[in-house]
Amino acid sequence: MVLSKADQQQKEKVFNKLRLKYKDYNDPWGFNLETIKQALEIILPFYKNYFRVRVFGKENIKDTSYMIVSNHTGQVPIDGALITMAFAYEFDQPRVLHSMVERFMAGLPFIGDLSAQTGAILGDRDNCKWLLSQDESILVFPEGTRGINKSTKNFYKLQRFPSGFYRIALQAQRPIVPISVIGAEEMFPFVLQAPKLGKKLGLPSLPIPFNLFPLPAPIDIYIGKPINVPTNLSSDAPEKEIRPYVQEIEESIKMNIEKGLKDRREFFDRVRNPIQDFMKKL
Amino acid sequence: MEEEVKKVLIIGIRGALAQILSRLILENHPTWEILGLDARSVSNIPKQKGLIVKKIRYSRGSFENIFRDHSFDYVYHLARVSHSTNNHSDFTQRLELNVMGTNRILDLSLRFNVKKIIILSTFHVYGALSDNSIFLKEDAPLRASLKFPELRDVVEMDQICSTWIWKYQSKIDSVLLRPCNIVGTEIANSMSQYLKSHLSLKPIDYNPIFQFIHEFDMANVLYRSINDLPTGIYNVATDEFITLRKALKIVGGNGIPFPISLASVMNNFLNLTHLGIAPYLVEYLKYSCLIDNSSLKKHLGDDIFRFKMDESLKLIS
Repeated sequence: MVLSKADQQQKEKVFNKLRLKYKDYNDPWGFNLETIKQALEIILPFYKNYFRVRVFGKENIKDTSYMIVSNHTGQVPIDGALITMAFAYEFDQPRVLHSMVERFMAGLPFIGDLSAQTGAILGDRDNCKWLLSQDESILVFPEGTRGINKSTKNFYKLQRFPSGFYRIALQAQRPIVPISVIGAEEMFPFVLQAPKLGKKLGLPSLPIPFNLFPLPAPIDIYIGKPINVPTNLSSDAPEKEIRPYVQEIEESIKMNIEKGLKDRREFFDRVRNPIQDFMKKL
Repeated sequence: MEEEVKKVLIIGIRGALAQILSRLILENHPTWEILGLDARSVSNIPKQKGLIVKKIRYSRGSFENIFRDHSFDYVYHLARVSHSTNNHSDFTQRLELNVMGTNRILDLSLRFNVKKIIILSTFHVYGALSDNSIFLKEDAPLRASLKFPELRDVVEMDQICSTWIWKYQSKIDSVLLRPCNIVGTEIANSMSQYLKSHLSLKPIDYNPIFQFIHEFDMANVLYRSINDLPTGIYNVATDEFITLRKALKIVGGNGIPFPISLASVMNNFLNLTHLGIAPYLVEYLKYSCLIDNSSLKKHLGDDIFRFKMDESLKLIS
């Protein structure tokens, strides 16, 4: 997959800006701008030409520290990589989002190290707090594996968010940006779950997809308006006091999922359009 | 006015850190008297005015006699037996010395009215686990022996001290120090040897973050524990941290690139000490175990360390 000249130029611009922004940044997980550059080089052609990502609501984002909260879909965390790519590539002031990953993944050989170098680290409260205190933005998927490993019949059903992420945002007093990703469920459209076997193998879940490589489902990322957290609510407040705020985030994400599902591109138009073009030529 | 003579006992005087500490004490207090003990040979320890060294058997009787014959003001317990082998008989001996031995030293310090006891533990007690938070505080659980049971004497020793110092805080001042990796030209611990060795395994599949402190800075913290640290437990680390690969690059160790996850499996069958890697160290080469230094800095200030981390590493290369 070859990038257009404009994309190549934009890519270089992004790298230069990131170099400037992170020249003095050093984190205790091994953040490495060169690895990030290599990762972007690999992901960008897929982002532009394979998943043909569209980003809506870019105007909602300023160059500041946020807690980005998204729905989690698609069996493998490609959605996280695409959201991170969007924040690095689509904005005048690019930044590297720090994705919070599962304990299982953080401990894997090679993968754990590579993730850490690209800013994706163990989703631990102290880690989140440290990053937010450094004015970094973090990307959290409150649904965790419950969200990503849904069977086909449950696609796009948002799972209940636990309140931990909100308590961290409260403590750090950072606005929350709700994000809805549409299209990732169709990367692996037919999935069976084998939770018992997964448990025996020590895996958090074991999805068995029909296809092994993700299909080129068009991806839409909807960025909602940042939601400020209250200043007069303690991060240790009882669950019943926190829950309405968490529900507000859930509702905002659900609303954009519904909108996105209505407005999304046809799943197989990537295949169909070239055939139609060919037929027209004939 | 002449300074009051104080008597100091340093247990484990053969260690490089203990010798630097004794020099530091005597430079600052030439009138003080230090008795240095060790179970190993003490013949090679350089002579210093004010320092008497003695080889003893670490037994209850020997320690009792020493405590009876001297009225120590301060006791340094730096004699934790290293956990760098996984030999079973070594382990049994370690358990006896580290756990029971420490208990005896604490008990005698209390009985013979020592003013302050300073005990050297290690950050290894927290354990290297994939789900470690960053910058573990002193109240974090000690999980080292969950993954590597051979470290349980180290954890047990630390826990005995932690319980003991609070129980007797009204009778004796006590400081328990948990330093990060100590490196230097004189110290010969597993980490210094690992970094310098050309035959050690260098992980290609993990790249944990490390904290290093220079041996002189560590000795200085030990020295300042006498007057500047109130009773308590303190992590000892600088503000800096570095990935293992960068640290190895600075030191210039040309080890053998190897997937350390395989080494974990091999560790069950082979003695990896022959490959320049202490068995317990395998987990620490996979996962980070970073410690928080805010309690220490609260009492000793922000500018306690003379050596920057890369300086410390360059010095051992």
